[in-house]
Amino acid sequence: MSIKLEQLHKSYGSDPIVRNVSLEVNTGELFVLLGASGSGKSTLLRLIAGLITPDSGRVFLNDRDVTYLPTQKRGTGFVFQNYSLFRHMTVGENIGFGLSIRRVGQSERTDRVNELLQLIGLAGYGDRFPAQLSGGQQQRVALARALAYQPNVLLLDEPFGALDVKIRAQLRQSLRDIQQKLGVTAILVTHDQEEAFDIADRIGVIERGELLEVGTPSDLYQRPQNLFTATFLGTANLLTGRRNGSTVYVGDARLPAPPHTDHLRGQPVQLVCRPEELTLFTSRENAEGEVIGGGVVDSISFAGHLIRVNVLLQGQGDSPRILQALLTPSDARDLALHDGQEVWVSVRDYHLLPQTEIPSGAVSS
Amino acid sequence: MREISPRSPVAIVLIIVVVAYAGLLFIAPLVAILQGAFADGLEPVLAVFTDPRVQHAFQVTLILSLIATAINAVFGLIAAWVLVRGKFRGKKLFDALVDIPFVFSPVIAGYALIVLFGRDGWLAPPIFSIVFALPGILLAKVFVSVPFVIREVQPVLDALTPEQEEAAYTIGATRFTTFRRVILPEIWTALLYGIVLTFARAIGEFGAVSVVSGNIEGYTETATSFVFRALNDRNDVGGYSVSVVLCLISLVILVLMSFLRGRIVRRGN
Repeated sequence: MSIKLEQLHKSYGSDPIVRNVSLEVNTGELFVLLGASGSGKSTLLRLIAGLITPDSGRVFLNDRDVTYLPTQKRGTGFVFQNYSLFRHMTVGENIGFGLSIRRVGQSERTDRVNELLQLIGLAGYGDRFPAQLSGGQQQRVALARALAYQPNVLLLDEPFGALDVKIRAQLRQSLRDIQQKLGVTAILVTHDQEEAFDIADRIGVIERGELLEVGTPSDLYQRPQNLFTATFLGTANLLTGRRNGSTVYVGDARLPAPPHTDHLRGQPVQLVCRPEELTLFTSRENAEGEVIGGGVVDSISFAGHLIRVNVLLQGQGDSPRILQALLTPSDARDLALHDGQEVWVSVRDYHLLPQTEIPSGAVSS
Repeated sequence: MREISPRSPVAIVLIIVVVAYAGLLFIAPLVAILQGAFADGLEPVLAVFTDPRVQHAFQVTLILSLIATAINAVFGLIAAWVLVRGKFRGKKLFDALVDIPFVFSPVIAGYALIVLFGRDGWLAPPIFSIVFALPGILLAKVFVSVPFVIREVQPVLDALTPEQEEAAYTIGATRFTTFRRVILPEIWTALLYGIVLTFARAIGEFGAVSVVSGNIEGYTETATSFVFRALNDRNDVGGYSVSVVLCLISLVILVLMSFLRGRIVRRGN
């Protein structure tokens, strides 16, 4: 186990920023901490690096308790959002800084620096100054600087936050490649779910200082255990219902209960389904799959390579719900959809959560 | 603001006024001093500098100015650090008080030192005397040149993000190494500029020094007080010659300053 956190807690004044977070990150894993700004994700990263001391709880790196060890002795590699390169040092000197502190000899240092420059695709840039490089190049150098002394773990605080979209996608792929190649355990902090899905082995969702849920990207997306996760990661259609026996009752519809939801037997539940799991039909007769009801098309919009259709669902008791469906352009053409059209909605894959106060309908962050 | 085209009559008049003003203020005195010193040829000038009292006065001035500069370089660096990174009550007040030597009349500062450290003063020294002795001169020089290093270094430190330090810590650098290899190189030029200004001020100070030192010939007399006495004694060649040397030192400082300022501007871009 490369990183283990036990009940870490930190507050500033009376505001808890990180609340009793426990987490284990496996050796060689790329773990992404995903949360909105102010969720406490950066504070958590700083606690691991020792830039902040926790109020309570413990931090273990490679099974060693480092909770009260100063930053300098923890051997972490840290990459900051704003690169934080040393401006008066050349690229080579920046990368070699950790080695010179560890009194590594000149020739070995030069070899290692060149090796790293090669790794980050900046061979031959060693004599330039940071100001002569682009943002993306500077962040590569910052990564190499953090890797040079073979750190226990690599910690990255919104490393691509200051870069434009295209560079960002390229850079995270090369980060993933480098991390895999070296087998270094890494925690990356971001607010960008696309980024998280793209590179993470596992994702931890953090909100108001609490680590809500940890899982692989597909687990978190398809079977979230938590309403915040369900709505924070992409768009979720939420419908209230009740699970009785092995059936879920939603409005007038009855659906078979999905597997692994026996603990919700006899309880009010929240049915969660993703927009791409909804199918629309023009009549009740030819509707296939698990039909949840009829409604009228409320709006149709263009969402890049897919068509987003909002359907006002009828017969849901107290108030009608808007559901969101994503259709391929050809499916949408076949249905000849238009506003106000009557449609039937069926659902392919869905998931149950215990019911809470959150409003239903199509919800996204 | 509207720009004045360089060939308009207004511009020409303004340029003439500025140049004439500067000439009258800076160049004319320099020429006058040089002319006065060498009016009777080189020999009387050389005679002045073989006078042991003159040599002593220069020694006192240079050595004490260097010590004062060293003290203020160290103190100024620490004070700038505390003002930028420290969090304490009364920080704003302290920040404002730093400029006191700029606004205080040096004569009053000297007088205050006498009141404090004189024979019946609150802080009268028990072993060696301060007032009317060399330590008093040093104190006066230190006092009048306190703000320079602080005011030069402070904004540069302020512009350094804490992430640079944090990065160094995570890489494994101790606080001292971080200061020496990460922070000092960033503030080095500003610090040097502050040191040069401090030295210039320390060497040229007359008011506070002359009050606190008592101008004792061959003991506490500095180069500037020698010039003042020479004036009173109608020792024209002496006064002029010492002034020429002081002017030369100032010129060297001026060149150094414009070189350093060039470096600061280039780094800023």
